[in-house]
Amino acid sequence: MNKEIIKFTDASIGYGKTVVASGINISIAENDFVGIVGPNGAGKTTLLKSLLGNIKLINGNLSKDQIRFGYVPQRDTVQPLLPYTVFDVVMMGRYSLSGSLKKISSEDKRIVEESLAYIGMSDLKDKNYNSLSGGQRQRTLIARALAVEPTVLILDEPTNGMDTPSHYSLLDLITKLHNEKKLTIFLVSHLLTDVANIVKKIILIDKNYFQFGEVEEILSETNLRNTYSSDFHISLVDGEYVITPIHLKKN
Amino acid sequence: METLYQLVELFPYAILGSILAGVICSFLGIFIVSQRVVFLGAVLTQVAIAGVAFSFLHIIHIETFIANILGVSIQENNFLQNFEPIFYSLLFAILTVIVFSQTHHQKYLTQDGILGIIFVVAIAVRIMFIQKSPIADIAEVESILKGDILFISQKEFIILALILIFTLSVFTIFRKQLQFVTFDAESASAHGINSKVWLLIFYIIVGTGISLTTRFVGDVFAFAYLIIPSSIGILISKKVKNVFLISVLVGAIVPPISIYFAFKFDFSSGPTAVVTAFLLFLIVFIIKKLRG
Repeated sequence: MNKEIIKFTDASIGYGKTVVASGINISIAENDFVGIVGPNGAGKTTLLKSLLGNIKLINGNLSKDQIRFGYVPQRDTVQPLLPYTVFDVVMMGRYSLSGSLKKISSEDKRIVEESLAYIGMSDLKDKNYNSLSGGQRQRTLIARALAVEPTVLILDEPTNGMDTPSHYSLLDLITKLHNEKKLTIFLVSHLLTDVANIVKKIILIDKNYFQFGEVEEILSETNLRNTYSSDFHISLVDGEYVITPIHLKKN
Repeated sequence: METLYQLVELFPYAILGSILAGVICSFLGIFIVSQRVVFLGAVLTQVAIAGVAFSFLHIIHIETFIANILGVSIQENNFLQNFEPIFYSLLFAILTVIVFSQTHHQKYLTQDGILGIIFVVAIAVRIMFIQKSPIADIAEVESILKGDILFISQKEFIILALILIFTLSVFTIFRKQLQFVTFDAESASAHGINSKVWLLIFYIIVGTGISLTTRFVGDVFAFAYLIIPSSIGILISKKVKNVFLISVLVGAIVPPISIYFAFKFDFSSGPTAVVTAFLLFLIVFIIKKLRG
């Protein structure tokens, strides 16, 4: 059993006095791989912001070990007008770790180079971030999160709007990060099949519904109906989950 | 050449002040344009003017208050004379940016909508303040409110120099934080940088720079030099460093050249500076378009 690093106890999350989701009990251990799924507006982002400490819990308790977060936002939220290079963007990951007056050190540069090499972007380091494809931008943002040297990596809808090869290549990279770097990973996605097949634990979240546990334990048609207010069919094909909305299946 | 000598002899601080004002606006403009809050620049220029108009009502005598605290006479102190317009334009602008910086995460109105409301209210209250001003001639008040490059004095030149030093110092010292939060505030917060506080600091610096510059060179000049040089920099440059270099160079070189043209052909200096910068922008844009 790995060491527990994050624990939500009877937590209610939301903004101001408006509760978005309540009854949250989560215990996350080192090297956990957790998927967060739920309908739009269910509170996935609010849960992440609460975890990061950017918003306070309305009720309950959150205890965190000495952990450092690496955060990968939805890439559509990062659209700079200034011509930042890939290297510039990844270097920003180091900014939170050094003081205002401290210059960028050779150690910072080495870590940035290593992060770029790990995600296979070294050749593109001098390219303009705006000129990259969606998949390359997402990898750049992952490299920036790695440059923080995190213990916990949070990815918010990383494969949104990607073509199929980039989509699976990115999921492979995320799995590799978990296996090789032993990172604790939170993956937010609306793609149920993806999440079910790569994570170990899953959080199902909706306004008045919350479930957390091992994938095999939580992933059921009843739980999905309770979360999405829609019917789903879950099947196993060659050992992999295939989750289909019932209306799609009928068609 | 004779015109140039006359200009330098008659308006030395106008030339030097226009360079400083151009550099301040073009530098801040890079952040305004890249943050996609161009309208904030327009709003701040109008809010600053409303602040100056408010000072003419003499409701609270800040100058007397400060003079009493410092134990000096207003008449003998050059700095305290005309301190109220600067104080109120700065106060109004800072209050505006504080309100604006808190609107990022609210979901009821767009930021543009909020800026639009502040914009029209600033213009409306300016008119109301002027109507109640003890100065009888409204045209005279308007001309005082809007500033003029040609009338930049030694004192105003020094204030502009101080604003430039202050702005550049803050952006140099806190480059990392300000660069990260203006690039991607959400991730900066997630990585432990307090985006709310840093964005507030950013907007206060922007508000200070724009309000004081507007006071001395006018709203048209200030707003134009917030947008045009940085747009030229973004159009031409392939590196962030060069965007800053080109924008600041345009901000420094074009205003004194346009003052020369204004003087030679008897135009108002502010509008001439704007049109000259626009023509440069047009040339750069066409060349960029032709080169594909």
